Amino acid sequence: MSALMEVRVCAVRQLTPVVREFTFEAAEGQLPGFSSGSHVQVLMPLGERTLRNAYSLLGDPADSTRYRIAVRLQDASRGGSRYLHERVAVGDRLQLSRPHNLFPLHSQASHHVLVAGGIGITPFMAYIAELQARGASFELHYAFRGRLTDAYVDELAERLGDRLHAYDSSAGQRLDLAALLAGQPLGTHLYACGPQRLLDGLREQARALGWPDGRVHWEAFAAPEPGLAFRVELARSGQRIEVPADLSLLEALEAAGVEVPNLCRGGVCGQCATRYLAGAVEHRDHYLDEAQRADSLMPCVSRGGCASALLLDL
Amino acid sequence: MTASGTDTIFSKPRYRTAASPQPARRRLLVAQDAACAVPLLDHPAPALLLSLGGELAADIQQERFPSPAALYLRLQLLLEQAEVGTRLYVVGDETFVWHVYRLARHAGLLGDEIELIKSGARRRLYCVHCATFQDIGEEGEANCSGCGVRLLVREHFSQRLGAYMGVCLDPSRPYGEDRP
Repeated sequence: MSALMEVRVCAVRQLTPVVREFTFEAAEGQLPGFSSGSHVQVLMPLGERTLRNAYSLLGDPADSTRYRIAVRLQDASRGGSRYLHERVAVGDRLQLSRPHNLFPLHSQASHHVLVAGGIGITPFMAYIAELQARGASFELHYAFRGRLTDAYVDELAERLGDRLHAYDSSAGQRLDLAALLAGQPLGTHLYACGPQRLLDGLREQARALGWPDGRVHWEAFAAPEPGLAFRVELARSGQRIEVPADLSLLEALEAAGVEVPNLCRGGVCGQCATRYLAGAVEHRDHYLDEAQRADSLMPCVSRGGCASALLLDL
Repeated sequence: MTASGTDTIFSKPRYRTAASPQPARRRLLVAQDAACAVPLLDHPAPALLLSLGGELAADIQQERFPSPAALYLRLQLLLEQAEVGTRLYVVGDETFVWHVYRLARHAGLLGDEIELIKSGARRRLYCVHCATFQDIGEEGEANCSGCGVRLLVREHFSQRLGAYMGVCLDPSRPYGEDRP
């Protein structure tokens, strides 16, 4: 996470009671370009600590003069979404990471099936802009709760016509995964973003119907869950750090001035994998396999036990 | 089809000896010689067998073609109509299975959806000097049918070309003997 950049909030829109959209422009110079599916980390100063949450860029990748993100207010939030919803207004300045893409369109697909659950629509807003510009074949399946998480549904209905398949759970409409996967031509790739339950269901169903993993691309909501407080010790520097219950290990390391390379901050990309030498680990990532977990952990989501200090190879 | 291990070059193809039990909605079997398709009949049986001849006493739908070109055309039409969930099993010599592989990839199948079983010694050689393809057997050296250079058959295999790379064997003889 090298260079940070400063942006100014130039527009804020409340899209639904829980979804707020923010538009940023460069405080000086130009914003870097981005590809569809990219995200940025937004730094939020909360008291003495800084939270970093990753949000998908939902604007048209052809226009990088502005970045747009949409943030869902999370009930069990550690304060990031609440901060953006309640404290950030037009004219404010924020720090962002440069864009990274862990969820790109597949270059060889001849048909794209996009499946969004709730706020998981955000990366697909950029996808759709790009796919429409290319004249590519695609369809969007968008499951949401009406008047709560249905941000962009009206805009999408207008832009996409019958390529949009909307499922409003408040009206009892359900996304039928088996039906969606049936009858897709050979060049099809599937992309999903939404709650873990949706992603798990989709992957399981896809596998059973003979879709190899290489056709199924997904992005989970990346946010560390709180846990118990624990201690870490850094083997190389001898530094000792307390990780409080509501901070991730990665955040605690950053607060102590220890930089660990990272991208998604949600246990999926593998970028922050760090070796540990001793101690109990509660692995919460979706990346490392059992063999790797024997000596590595992902500090963005995983935590140590409270009984003894965790010794990291840092 | 995985390439791993430390003793051989990464790109050298490894072939299956039997079908894997991967789930699929439709299984297509393509065989140079139908008799060689026997190991692929277990695991959920394939829906259809395309072959260039040979006998296979099995209770599946079979289509036989007089030439490779006719078989390739039929397969191409089948794949154009096919849906995701289709798995393709190919049995034959390397020249044959890689031709089918490239055709299937072009039609939209992923490498993970295609299983290759080698039967027979024929393989394709690509001369890196004059870009000529020719069929060879298991020999490790060959004369290029295009430029006449004596070629060393490298283990390096190009999936894109469906061929092994042939490079000049003797740097002191960079041209073919019978070259004018």
